[in-house]
Amino acid sequence: MPIVREIVRNKYLYVLALPGLLFLIVFAYVPMAGHLIAFKKYRLADGLWGSKWVGFDNFKFFFLSDDWYKVTFNTVFLNGLFIVCGLGIALLLAIFLNEIHSRLYKKIAQSLIFLPYFISWLVVSMMTFAFLNTTDGVLNRVLIDNGMDPQNWYLKPGIWPGVLTFIYVWKFAGYYSIIFLAAITGISGEYYESAKIDGATRFQQIIHITIPLIRNVLIVLALLGVGRIFYGDFGMIYGIVGDTAPLYPTTDVIDTYSYRALRQLGDFSKSSAIIMYQSVMGLVTIVIFNAIARRIDKDSSLF
Amino acid sequence: MESSITQAPSGKLGRAGKAMKIKADRSPSERAFVGFIYAFTGLFALVCLLPFWIVAINSFADESAIKRYGYQLIPRIFSTGAYEFLFRGKQVASSYMVSTTVTVAGTVLAVLITAMYAYVLAHPKVKYRNVLSFLTYFTMIFGAGLVGFYILIANWLHLKDTLWALILPYLLNPFFAFIMVSFFRTLPYEINEAATVDGANDLRIFFGIILPISKPVIATVGLFYALQYWNDFFLALLFIDDYKLHPLQIMIRQLISNINIGAYVGGSQTNYGQPLPTYSVQLATVCVTIGPIFLLYPFIQRYFVKGITIGALKG
Repeated sequence: MPIVREIVRNKYLYVLALPGLLFLIVFAYVPMAGHLIAFKKYRLADGLWGSKWVGFDNFKFFFLSDDWYKVTFNTVFLNGLFIVCGLGIALLLAIFLNEIHSRLYKKIAQSLIFLPYFISWLVVSMMTFAFLNTTDGVLNRVLIDNGMDPQNWYLKPGIWPGVLTFIYVWKFAGYYSIIFLAAITGISGEYYESAKIDGATRFQQIIHITIPLIRNVLIVLALLGVGRIFYGDFGMIYGIVGDTAPLYPTTDVIDTYSYRALRQLGDFSKSSAIIMYQSVMGLVTIVIFNAIARRIDKDSSLF
Repeated sequence: MESSITQAPSGKLGRAGKAMKIKADRSPSERAFVGFIYAFTGLFALVCLLPFWIVAINSFADESAIKRYGYQLIPRIFSTGAYEFLFRGKQVASSYMVSTTVTVAGTVLAVLITAMYAYVLAHPKVKYRNVLSFLTYFTMIFGAGLVGFYILIANWLHLKDTLWALILPYLLNPFFAFIMVSFFRTLPYEINEAATVDGANDLRIFFGIILPISKPVIATVGLFYALQYWNDFFLALLFIDDYKLHPLQIMIRQLISNINIGAYVGGSQTNYGQPLPTYSVQLATVCVTIGPIFLLYPFIQRYFVKGITIGALKG
């Protein structure tokens, strides 16, 4: 058989690939059987294979409730905010950093701006708590000192899309600005020189040279982000919001919702149905938007 | 990026002369624009720094000061009580052990497995490398989902409450694998051919020749993995109930949600009159957790910048 011949001929290479391949099979492909639970009434005693089939009942249960709409909306809405604000501010930062001539200022600013990327969401949660805490938070203390009433920020779901977006930008703007900066430094200096000769101000140079030439990078990054719009960042949201139920209406995403169904309710079937829904929607959007992105920039190694 | 201005005049004025020349070139509105740019980036950088400052400085604040004045920019009363309490207990030591072990073991294993795998994906002789590539890529766009993952680790592999549950799931990250594949593709195949002529088999070529010259990408991917392992709390959240196996991140979470801090941290109550340093202990734990990252940051920053640039722009 040709496949056996190929493996024997390159046996050492396939041996090298074996651990990785084994990992993929065990940790990425085998658990896909879990999707079957979406169609079963899972009981721990019966295991996966013993639990009985219930067809689409689990999905009916999920879609007939209000939850699916709220959770989907939150996921898509929050991710949308993150993409727009995150990439937008990162682009601004990259353009601005590129304009800064003082090397020291630029280096320090870049280091500080990139720093939040390195800490975990739990630490971020702690920092958020230090600011928004009702009794001792920095924000409330500032309000009190200025004669205004402190608010219980953790009980106001309405502000949290904004809060989470702010946190997201804080954490990732530096990361994305690096990508934009790399693209900007790739722009040939000749464009700027000829523009300068023609009398363009630096501001005009930015608008007419820098931005159009890195437009592709921005679009590709945005498309990739949109592709994953059905996947909420569990680490972020559960880390920061945790089990603060009053905030669920505006912050609960598919990932946290299904996590709670699994771990706190012990409802494997419900959780699995939601995750199947997410995986299918996610697959569709990722394939579509990755394909569009690939059309725009064939060279990008993001795929 | 910068136009003719970068040709710095090599005369006596040098750098200062260049700055003067730039200033002179600019109209008032341009200078306002530049001023705005400096202000914006400076402000953003400060906002990035501020939470770190608050956390760090308040971990050295006396608990009573925090209770009376809240989290302050400059605490009124300093004390190392939080750290004393923290280090007298046993929990932080065991959490540190867990986090460090998982990070070191995980990173070493992950880099090894990823490098071996990526090398094969990039090797011209391998006929099925496109199949493997696709199989790897597919896992990035369609996941197994939380339930299958949980059942696999907890029920089928029986890894609940073990260190392996914290190490194994992240051993091959497709994104990092593709970064290494890109790198290996840049290596000239002549190296392999020359080594084969000398009688080396593929294993010797990989371990003896390829790996040593791949140090940059190994360092970069290694750091990415290390960061992932150190910062992760998802795996421990799902699979670790035994507090002796709590990594640092989960310890932080326990401190936030747990009222019984005294018992958890394991510090003995030597002074019953004193209040439990709740808030400052939380912050001290955070500082202890991000301490290593802070210390290593100047050295590792450029590896991450390089890695991100390569990963995103194939450049």
